[in-house]
Amino acid sequence: MLTVRLVEDRLQELCFLGEAGDLHFNKGQEAISIGTCAVLNEEDYIVTHHRTIAHSIAKGVPLRPLISELLGKATGINGGVAGEMHFTYPDVRYMFTFQLVGTCLPVAAGLAWAVKNFLKESNIVACFFGDAATSNAQVHEGLSIASVRKAPLLLICENNGVAGNIKKEFYLPTKTVAERAAAYGIGSSTIDGNNLQLVMEAAARASEYVRENSKPYLLEMETTRLSWHKQGMPDARSKEELAKLAERDPLLREETRLGISVEKKREFANEINVEIEDAIVAARAAPYPGLKAVN
Amino acid sequence: MKADPSIYIFGEGAHMKVHFDAPYIEKEFPDRVVTLPISEDGNTNFGVGTSLAGVKPIIDVISSDFLFRTMDSICNTAVKLNFMSEQIGKPKTIVIKSEFLFGGPTSGQRLESQFARIPGLNVAVPSNPRDAQGLMNSALRRNGVTLLFEDRMISDKDTKESDMIKDVAEDIPFGKAMLRRKGNSLTVVSYAITLKEVESEIEANGFDCDLLDLRSLYPLDYHAISESVSATGKLLIVEPDVVFEGVGAEIGAYIAECCPSSLKKPIKRLGAPRSVIPVSLDMHKYMLPSRTEISDTIRKMMS
Repeated sequence: MLTVRLVEDRLQELCFLGEAGDLHFNKGQEAISIGTCAVLNEEDYIVTHHRTIAHSIAKGVPLRPLISELLGKATGINGGVAGEMHFTYPDVRYMFTFQLVGTCLPVAAGLAWAVKNFLKESNIVACFFGDAATSNAQVHEGLSIASVRKAPLLLICENNGVAGNIKKEFYLPTKTVAERAAAYGIGSSTIDGNNLQLVMEAAARASEYVRENSKPYLLEMETTRLSWHKQGMPDARSKEELAKLAERDPLLREETRLGISVEKKREFANEINVEIEDAIVAARAAPYPGLKAVN
Repeated sequence: MKADPSIYIFGEGAHMKVHFDAPYIEKEFPDRVVTLPISEDGNTNFGVGTSLAGVKPIIDVISSDFLFRTMDSICNTAVKLNFMSEQIGKPKTIVIKSEFLFGGPTSGQRLESQFARIPGLNVAVPSNPRDAQGLMNSALRRNGVTLLFEDRMISDKDTKESDMIKDVAEDIPFGKAMLRRKGNSLTVVSYAITLKEVESEIEANGFDCDLLDLRSLYPLDYHAISESVSATGKLLIVEPDVVFEGVGAEIGAYIAECCPSSLKKPIKRLGAPRSVIPVSLDMHKYMLPSRTEISDTIRKMMS
């Protein structure tokens, strides 16, 4: 979680300098991807939404080519043409990211179906999507097909209560996202997504359910987006509101639980920052990719 | 499907028995014909998802009109996922199959020219069973995303023996037009249903024309067209799609750029009007150039 936080803080500086585009950060939501990926098997697959930096680090995408990709450089994991929202890195079974909200769900359902029926593996697919994505038809078509076709799919809804800058009373017709799963015959539950311990326990239980029953399960994780929706789009929420949300910061909570001192944290941060700087120096020196031809 | 166990069919087709051949395929490969709900966009995304596990999906979007719904899953998901996968040396093979059959305002719309403009998407529109078989065969053997249309308005009873399905599928390459008639006085370029109409008129009247069947709209066989026009000096394009900003416009612009001096007469296009398909069966004929219009135009251009 600390690595994610430090990488995003550093990238934010590069956004202000104009070296990076309008990146989407996970600040405040890190426990979800870090906790879930920690309890998934290495051979399990993930598919994600557009807020990808935490998930890629959580699944084990190496930092150097990852940062090159985020900065659009030829040495990136997809040659610098995918950026933060369209990359694939099957080496660690990070299968795809989707900028277009909701698409991740039916694609992940297809992947999960094929992992089970074509590859005949017992691995599962975890799909991360936001609460706002549930306004989109693709989520509902995906839920419907995943349920009918019994796809071994762990659905992780990161409920941060905002769609860009729009508050949830404008898009979420139910109290929770989890209750909507019942309409598709999919089991579900809601937990505090800012508590790493709870995330790990719930994700472990849910992934075992998916693995054993070979059917989907929806785990809703309530969380807090402490960053802007994206760089270049200032937050519409008040300072007071954000400060209140920051009290739930999953990183602070975990530091307190583990009793990590300020000095110890600095020591960890220094070590991680060396790796981040190395990746940024390498990315800065790398060329941009040429315009690729398509057939 | 016999030759390649990674080929699967996804869609609404099999159990609904909409297609002539689907139930037979399902009988032979019961686990590889996967019936999905009437959720075309979700189905296409689902099919694309299976390609991440190594499946070569054929996604059946029964009627062309539903392609408006699947524009997102085809143009955003399939094409871009394949493009990124190419960057890491893991290109995908994805085929989306759809059909044209006039019924009314939202039944049978011609959309091939719209899709041909999407970078990274191949579009094939065969005019006969043999080409349909050969182009599907190629689509499944090559990397990339292909939208393959079947023109259900082409009557099977008029199919020539040489255009029938072969026991062993040919590999008909994309971007290779077929010269179906050889002549000296005019180049006629067409495809799908209008190709059949033009061919019948040329044969009935003994017109001295080159007749090119495009077979794929992207890639487009520019070379065959310019070679023929250089020899005949005249170009007529007959397309079943709306003429405005259609494939005929692209071909005309290309000839005007590459070899204007070879033209002895202005280029002429015939095709569908910018209108809505009528529900009255008798009025469907107004959505395609008539045989009389085709032969009159050919005569005029040859004079």
